[in-house]
Amino acid sequence: MERVEDETRIRIIKELFPSEIVSIIGSILAGVILTILILPFESFAVLILMVPAILSLRGNISGPFIARTGKDLIIGDFNKGTWLQNILATLFLSLITSVLIGTISFFLNVLFFKVEAFPFYVFIAIPVISILLNLSISIPISTFLNYIAFQFGLNVNNVVNPLMTAVDDFFSVFSFYLTLLLLGVP
Amino acid sequence: MMKMEYFKKVVKESIIILIISSLLGLISGTVLSLNEEILYSIPIILLTLPALNSLIGDISIVLVSRLTTHLYIGTIAPEVKKSARLKEDFIGLFLTIIFSFGTLMTIGYIFLSIVGKQIVNPFIIIIILSITVLILFVILFIILFIFSIFLFKKGKDPLILIPLTTSLIDFLTPLLIIILIIIFI
Repeated sequence: MERVEDETRIRIIKELFPSEIVSIIGSILAGVILTILILPFESFAVLILMVPAILSLRGNISGPFIARTGKDLIIGDFNKGTWLQNILATLFLSLITSVLIGTISFFLNVLFFKVEAFPFYVFIAIPVISILLNLSISIPISTFLNYIAFQFGLNVNNVVNPLMTAVDDFFSVFSFYLTLLLLGVP
Repeated sequence: MMKMEYFKKVVKESIIILIISSLLGLISGTVLSLNEEILYSIPIILLTLPALNSLIGDISIVLVSRLTTHLYIGTIAPEVKKSARLKEDFIGLFLTIIFSFGTLMTIGYIFLSIVGKQIVNPFIIIIILSITVLILFVILFIILFIFSIFLFKKGKDPLILIPLTTSLIDFLTPLLIIILIIIFI
């Protein structure tokens, strides 16, 4: 197994490029699915306010979780305790961020767009539920991939994050759609 | 670590950056909706924008993750100076982003051809998107390297840069594309 400090540019490309291709295909699919599933909603004008912020949480919440798990594996700090605390911190940060996104979206709508689509609590519930749904899929998959990649001697930094981008892109759009259905958003 | 120290450390180090990132994400949404006509008039940009954000975001996350690991295991010294290790990482990531961008453009054009969308000014569009990717990659590499060193020296985990970086990319990518479209087209 080649150590992190000895990695050549060729190895970086060999590990990263295939993951990037999967990530690109996942992102393009997410874009297509977003257009097909979300665009037909009557309240699309309001929903589009939240979409970029919710989608960017893929990198903001899930990305650091994956990177922390990977770092812990590499430096030998990975254990049940640190992993559970990593999950708790991720969930806690997700809740705070999604409430913030919902609240600001509500005020942006009141100030600029004035579309009466749904009440305030739905503005909060949409990001909270969709992010939690996404994380419930992302956390187990990314931990599994990190662990497997590490066991196979791959650099988890190179492999797992791009692969998880594809998974997170797809599931964040799908979770967003499921949340809209669950809440009965018009 | 005992008594939720790991939890506290992660939350304490991440919370402010996450709030700033969320605000940037919401500004990004507003900028996009204000300029939606430009984006909708050139379908390849609209189709590839999420993938472009992901591509630059992925490479930046990999960069920060690698830098953090290098700093923790001591293969990069915590000071702002060139090294063989840093050069190797730069070239590896640079070539990966070039190859990936080429693949992305190919998939994008194939998809648009299949659905029968007209491809307007393909050469200029590729130049605009290439410039966007290259400018962001070089600037982010330098900034992330300097900030990683700075945070590491302060005893903080450089991984806290990831949320801010991805939000900055989600904000800067469409903005730069819009500016370049206004300049070139």
